[in-house]
Amino acid sequence: MMHATKIQAAEDTSAKAPTRRALAKQQTRAKVLAAARRLFSEQGYEGATIRDIASAAGMSTGAVFANFTDKSDLFREIMVTDMAALADAMREAAARGAGVEDTLLRMFAAGYAFYRSQLPLARAAFSVGWSPEDGPALRNAAPVQVLNSLIVEQLGQGVERGELRPDDLALRAQMLFDAYLSNYPQAIFEGWTLEALQDRARDQIRVLLAGARRA
Amino acid sequence: MSSPGRIATDALPDDGLLSPPAAVVASSLRRTQKEATRNRVIDAARELFDTQGYQGTTIREIARHAGVSVGSVFTTFASKGEILSQVMQDRLDGLYAELDRVMPHLRGATIERLRTMFAIHFAFEVQHTRLFLAHIASAYDWTLPPSAKPMGKTPRLQEIIRECLAKGVADGDVDPAIETQEIVDLLMAAYAWAYRLAAWNDANAAELTAVMDRQIGLIAQGFTPRS
Repeated sequence: MMHATKIQAAEDTSAKAPTRRALAKQQTRAKVLAAARRLFSEQGYEGATIRDIASAAGMSTGAVFANFTDKSDLFREIMVTDMAALADAMREAAARGAGVEDTLLRMFAAGYAFYRSQLPLARAAFSVGWSPEDGPALRNAAPVQVLNSLIVEQLGQGVERGELRPDDLALRAQMLFDAYLSNYPQAIFEGWTLEALQDRARDQIRVLLAGARRA
Repeated sequence: MSSPGRIATDALPDDGLLSPPAAVVASSLRRTQKEATRNRVIDAARELFDTQGYQGTTIREIARHAGVSVGSVFTTFASKGEILSQVMQDRLDGLYAELDRVMPHLRGATIERLRTMFAIHFAFEVQHTRLFLAHIASAYDWTLPPSAKPMGKTPRLQEIIRECLAKGVADGDVDPAIETQEIVDLLMAAYAWAYRLAAWNDANAAELTAVMDRQIGLIAQGFTPRS
């Protein structure tokens, strides 16, 4: 209890002016995250070890573990930060859309543009996302859920506007999200351009919306 | 084993003309041994990947479980990724043989033929969902050698779907204007998604099939010709 109270007090002061220690801790975390981001991009999730990350950040493995429980925790933190930014980009893109198909396409295109400069990291994210051990935590992370609910939201608005029937909305949204994700291998391994990805996504959106369209 | 011919040959004096030269015998023996090692490694790896996961299994454990040395594992396989790839290849060969037998006899609408085809997949693979997810995840693994064939590089399933859709075009229940590869990719994505459901929510084959049936139904709305 004593301990908890002390921490509480430290947090209270840090809210007004961050203590030197809190600031140092923040800097350490930022340094580890930057090094980890670089190594995950260069060597993939499997190839990058905590030891490599620590030495790239210029600190001991102990210092890394003081801030992150393990490698998957570190990776999730990077993905969560990125996906929060991605969700913002998608929301902005959606605001410029006209109609469900166009809006979804703009959102997906914003996603492909976002990851275009960091495809190796996207590749690592798929590796982790499919892993039976670490996948659920990444897939259920709050920002991923936000991406999913953005799609649900768009379909809901389509129903309100009378563009779509409300059939199978949840399943349709999930399949749209999966279709969006399913094009990344083409970008990662076959070097598809943004235009090619968009063309493919447009067709996929059409197929998946076809059954819900009002005649 | 002890056929008369064999006895007769054995009874002849070994003058090096009738028996194969020693080098050939030795090399074929080596091949057989290598084959036996390979099979033991594959069997051990499949069991370990299935129970403790791909990430959680080391080559050392596989070697110990197979009763071979770590060195002899590495003379046969370049990496753990390649072992996984071979484990899956061996399993899938059986599945595709089954599908090749069944598919020509399937009647009915394209949507139903697709549903049956995927139901066969789930019945075959549902006991090994962790293995299958690792197979998908390995497609993105940096450490995987180019010789490995993760999910997505197994063209047989895609071929089977394409044949199914081509028959649908001929029968008139698949829109000929539709880009076949796009439907194939959507079905593959839906199929892979179902395994995630199995591994994370402990769904059984019947539940997977039910989800996949709905997904196929939704995709079919997109490839059915407009009347």
